[in-house]
Amino acid sequence: MAKIGVFICHCGENIASKVDCNKLATSIGEHPGVAVALDYKYFCSDPGQERLKKAIKENNLTGVVVAACSPMMHEATFRKACAEAGLNPYLCEIANIREQCSWVHTDYDMATQKAMEITRSMVEKVKRNNKLQPIEVPVTRRALVIGGGIAGIQAALDIANAGQQVVLVEREPSLGGHMAQLSETFPTLDCSQCIMTPRMVEASQHPNIRLLTYAEIESVDGYIGNFQVRIRMKARYVDMSTCTGCGDCITKCPTKKISSEFDCGMGKRTAIYTPFAQSVPNIPVIDKASCTYFKNGKCKVCMKSCELNSINFDMQDEFIDLDFGAIVVATGFQVQDNSVYGEYGYGKYKDVINGLQFERLASASGPTSGKILRPSDGKEPENIVFIQCAGSRDCSKGVRYCSKICCMYTAKHSMLYAHKVHGGIAQIFYMDIRAAGKGYDEFTRRAIEEDKAAYFRGRVSKVWQENGKLMVRGVDTLLGKPVVIAADMVVLATAMVPQPDAKDFAKTIGIGYDEYGFFNEAHLKLRPVESSTAGVFLAGACQSPKDIPDSVAQASASASKVLALFSKDKLEREPVVASNNETTCAGCWGCVLACPYNAIEKKDILDRSGKVIKRVASVNPGLCQGCGTCVTFCRSNSLDLAGFTEKQIFAEVMAL
Amino acid sequence: MSESFEPKIIAFVCTYCTYTGADLAGTSRLKYAPNVRIIRLPCTGRISPMFILKALQQGADGILVSGCHPGDCHFTHGNYHARRRWMVFRTLLDFTGIPSERIKFSWISAAEGHKFAELINSVTDDIRKLGPFDQYKNLIRETEAPATL
Amino acid sequence: MTIQEKYKARVKELLSTGAVKMVIGYKPGSTAERRRPLFMRSPEEADQLVLDTACIANLAGYLVAEGLLSDDKRVGIFLKPDGIRSINILAAEAQLNIDQIVVLGFDIDGQEVNALEGESAGDFSALIESIKDHAPEAPRNPLIEQIEQMNPIQRFDFWQTEFSRCIKCYACRQACPMCYCRRCIVDSNQPQWINTSSHTLGNLEWNIIRAFHLSGRCVGCGNCDRACPVNIPLRLINARMGQEVLGAFDHFAGMSETQEPVLASFKKDDSETFIL
Repeated sequence: MAKIGVFICHCGENIASKVDCNKLATSIGEHPGVAVALDYKYFCSDPGQERLKKAIKENNLTGVVVAACSPMMHEATFRKACAEAGLNPYLCEIANIREQCSWVHTDYDMATQKAMEITRSMVEKVKRNNKLQPIEVPVTRRALVIGGGIAGIQAALDIANAGQQVVLVEREPSLGGHMAQLSETFPTLDCSQCIMTPRMVEASQHPNIRLLTYAEIESVDGYIGNFQVRIRMKARYVDMSTCTGCGDCITKCPTKKISSEFDCGMGKRTAIYTPFAQSVPNIPVIDKASCTYFKNGKCKVCMKSCELNSINFDMQDEFIDLDFGAIVVATGFQVQDNSVYGEYGYGKYKDVINGLQFERLASASGPTSGKILRPSDGKEPENIVFIQCAGSRDCSKGVRYCSKICCMYTAKHSMLYAHKVHGGIAQIFYMDIRAAGKGYDEFTRRAIEEDKAAYFRGRVSKVWQENGKLMVRGVDTLLGKPVVIAADMVVLATAMVPQPDAKDFAKTIGIGYDEYGFFNEAHLKLRPVESSTAGVFLAGACQSPKDIPDSVAQASASASKVLALFSKDKLEREPVVASNNETTCAGCWGCVLACPYNAIEKKDILDRSGKVIKRVASVNPGLCQGCGTCVTFCRSNSLDLAGFTEKQIFAEVMAL
Repeated sequence: MSESFEPKIIAFVCTYCTYTGADLAGTSRLKYAPNVRIIRLPCTGRISPMFILKALQQGADGILVSGCHPGDCHFTHGNYHARRRWMVFRTLLDFTGIPSERIKFSWISAAEGHKFAELINSVTDDIRKLGPFDQYKNLIRETEAPATL
Repeated sequence: MTIQEKYKARVKELLSTGAVKMVIGYKPGSTAERRRPLFMRSPEEADQLVLDTACIANLAGYLVAEGLLSDDKRVGIFLKPDGIRSINILAAEAQLNIDQIVVLGFDIDGQEVNALEGESAGDFSALIESIKDHAPEAPRNPLIEQIEQMNPIQRFDFWQTEFSRCIKCYACRQACPMCYCRRCIVDSNQPQWINTSSHTLGNLEWNIIRAFHLSGRCVGCGNCDRACPVNIPLRLINARMGQEVLGAFDHFAGMSETQEPVLASFKKDDSETFIL
């Protein structure tokens, strides 16, 4: 038999001036199941809470309704008070008669009537409330950071420096990501390598960081605090435990003309190689597709040259299984393939290059040792035309979004060019200059005012070759005139796009992605570094185009989320989660598809011999966030949501 | 239709946007019609068509269903699921003679206290003009009558 | 050779070679216009097989009989295009493994029965595609038009009159291949969302929720309609909902075994003109 206590708060005059609290107490006191109904000036005050606790104990209450302000205000207060009086806190509900009644109505009788109905409805709900316990989830205190670019390194270092274990996985042979490819960085023009390499070394030597390069994520199971991850260690064909990175094998390798990925095709590499001189770890890999031995069965020059016998052509991919409590996804971006822009001649004319290729040209460690030279003939260009938004903000061939960094790096390119080639003329076609950021607008002004970059507001319609020059036809919309420039080189400010396998990767790990393949944050404004899957966080350009400061900031934010997660032995979560009645579940699995959190799994019910009797849905309370979308979908009414059960809501409605 | 008819309206709202928006209307001391009773759910995704049928059975003359604007859902896309269901359910009710004018859907964010107050007033006015949902009430009355054999 | 004889031979072949453990088809019923389901386990049983223009029932629902497909053996079944769409939905909803089904496809065109090319559900995808493409201009049931012309009060009265006859026998549910739930929502009494009494309110609730559960899943086979002992035109509601999901979400039920259920999926730009 229900013994419900109803506590009606006057909130001073806030409620009492519009609602007859006395009358409310008298009439709700007669409602079936109500054991006691009291009104008081301030139930949230200490004496008020004491009254409530006393009433719970004296009347042996089985449920409590506090008719007062919004549950957003004091639900936690009153639930705590209930718990202190020995009543399960989830047996307490709030009837909102202030924000949604006394404050918004003027008619005393109508407001009283409404307050009565609100309270009655809550009494009927609370009669059907269940005792709930917070969900405790154990936490494995080890973080997985996927991606060894600046975002991944930053997140790994922050977590490791706080004393927690980190496994940092990078699929390329070396840490570094795109930042290692850059020449100088805006807005300070400091050398990218100079700030990046120490971080790479620090990450590789950190006692709390286990670095796995040339490795990929094979599968991810489990949930927040308890992920089981299988990592594929791709065969390097070089024994990491004995190799010293002396580089003899690289020097001797006869296959030398492979286009270097790190140099964006502007330089060459060997079949056994490290991506760049400062690679971390400085241990080469054999590119199986290009290696003469793997192709013809003959060569092994590298093996012969290695005094430490570190080369092993029989090496196989290996798998490492590890448990993690949290995952930081920092898988970065790629640049769009500009060959879709036939009119710009990318891929057709050697001297039309993209922004990242220009970075390699300008980089001191690049194929030209930092000299700006034309790829076609190695001559220094007398002028360069830069085309911004080559792919970005273009609904027809490119992407609809703004890649965010191109305005800045184009300004930077024009400055680097002016500094390296005296008298060189940089001409830039742009749509808008988007230079929001600390020191950013000043930086673009410097490019224009000090380094004399010439900006033309307009688009380029065509690039063609004529008399050894690249003819660029565009329009200067500010002058309203067409412009034709004979250029020595053209640099396209290429759009940033997600990694080509981003969507598959998102499915592997169980996070959402947008129409382009950028990973979805749990909330664009309020939870920008969390993915929709609890325990999986995002850092860097895998979420959206970002520059270095933003990537680092997001990485540190992710790290702080991970550390907050690791600050306790067990996670405690609100028990407002769904559960399934496996007896009645028809196993249609619409809920599995509808669940925004991948919290519903397919489960086989087996008989004693191990034969599948039926297949049903099973909610993982660790992942469920309690939205209840699955409950509404469920045709057989098998799913239900604690705290907002079908019975509770039915009763609430039927009491109105 | 009598001048004094006051419609009974039952609203189903999500806690993160519309319920909070309704609270904001309160803290802003906006005034609106007292005809609406609110049932709080975690998300519009939790609002089942059956709630609407039960509200009608309880003699509601109008129903309001409201949640977060598209893209704002606390649960990322509960409201997108809800929108599809409503679209279908609304057509279904309309086809079976339960006028769609009586079942209103809206997006109200936690910041839209004003919109909430205005909506309650306009929905109340609309339903008041439509008058009591007599046809449905006759069905309810039939259930209460003793069985005739 | 008539199509009936041709298919009879094929059924015998499938059963005698052990390619399938059972074939579900039709046999004569109690009147000349009626057919009964026939469950053939041996080639001899195929002698009773009938395939003619009276074979209109959708047999797909028999496939989800408890345990029938649990031994992973294959089952043959006579299906019209609507039935093929049904098994696609059943597969999409994880109720059966489409690879276990051998489809003996046929279509009724006026007084003719035609064989359909192919034996696995996927073979009919082009056919279903073309049915979908022609769905918008396919002749609508004139009664739907008529109901839509009515004002809400007349519509309510129309359905009230229809539903008042309902005796809650649940034959519609029994006949429907989509009603495979182990426990139907109407049988759930904690809480009792749907009034089980067969007063008009209970009948209205039952039929509304049933139609909602079939939205985007009904293929319009008409099994419910034919099963109804009091002739409630149930098919009209389901057909109207079919138009709705096609128009609003471009969803045509049963396109393939991987089709996402329309109410468990969404598009960010779904129509929302009705939302204030």
